[in-house]
Amino acid sequence: MAQHDVDITISKSGEVEVHIKGAKGKGCLEYAKWLTKVVGKVKDQQMTSEFYEPDVKARINLQQDLKVEDD
Amino acid sequence: MSTVLILAPVIIANWPAIMVAVAGAASALGFTVTKTAQEQKQQVEVEQGVQSVEVEVADSEVLAQSLATDQQIVLTKGSIKICVKRDERGRCSVCATGKGHSKVELKQIAQEFTQKLTQCFVYDRVMRELKNKNFNIVNEEVMEDESIRIHVRRWVD
Repeated sequence: MAQHDVDITISKSGEVEVHIKGAKGKGCLEYAKWLTKVVGKVKDQQMTSEFYEPDVKARINLQQDLKVEDD
Repeated sequence: MSTVLILAPVIIANWPAIMVAVAGAASALGFTVTKTAQEQKQQVEVEQGVQSVEVEVADSEVLAQSLATDQQIVLTKGSIKICVKRDERGRCSVCATGKGHSKVELKQIAQEFTQKLTQCFVYDRVMRELKNKNFNIVNEEVMEDESIRIHVRRWVD
């Protein structure tokens, strides 16, 4: 199971800053889309390096393939 | 962190949902509901020399559940009166009035109330949706700058 954390800061004026942690790629985008729908509209969005990392399942499959080739 | 998102609030709701946010803002800023809108309207017309400033809540739309367009609520705190209403265009506006207060002071008060109303509305909405998505609240605190910080978590397969 993967742990997904979201830090939400609602400023004095109602502007919302969201940090999505743990969710990668498509999963992360789904959270971003959902929260945008809840709050209003996107003012700014920045992807960090973790966003581009593959999901855990995909990484395991890749390692298994490499092992077969080594044998 | 995988994504940092900055969102600007859009308030589109029916009058009861706006009322919940108004009540939250009123409570936080020390205002109380005193009179019905009609009583307030009549009194303002009688009083002379009372300054009044109206501030529109940005990106707001109060959905009409009936044909009534002049839904409003009046709050007071000392000599200051705040009227939150749905205007003719369906937008939410905050009007501050008060004898002995300048227009600059009243504008500040109206803007402060508008901000608190927006913050309360967003907080209620976000918390409701987080519960619907089965998030657990890890931590919640009000910061020195009056912002609300919420840390939530959930486990997924």
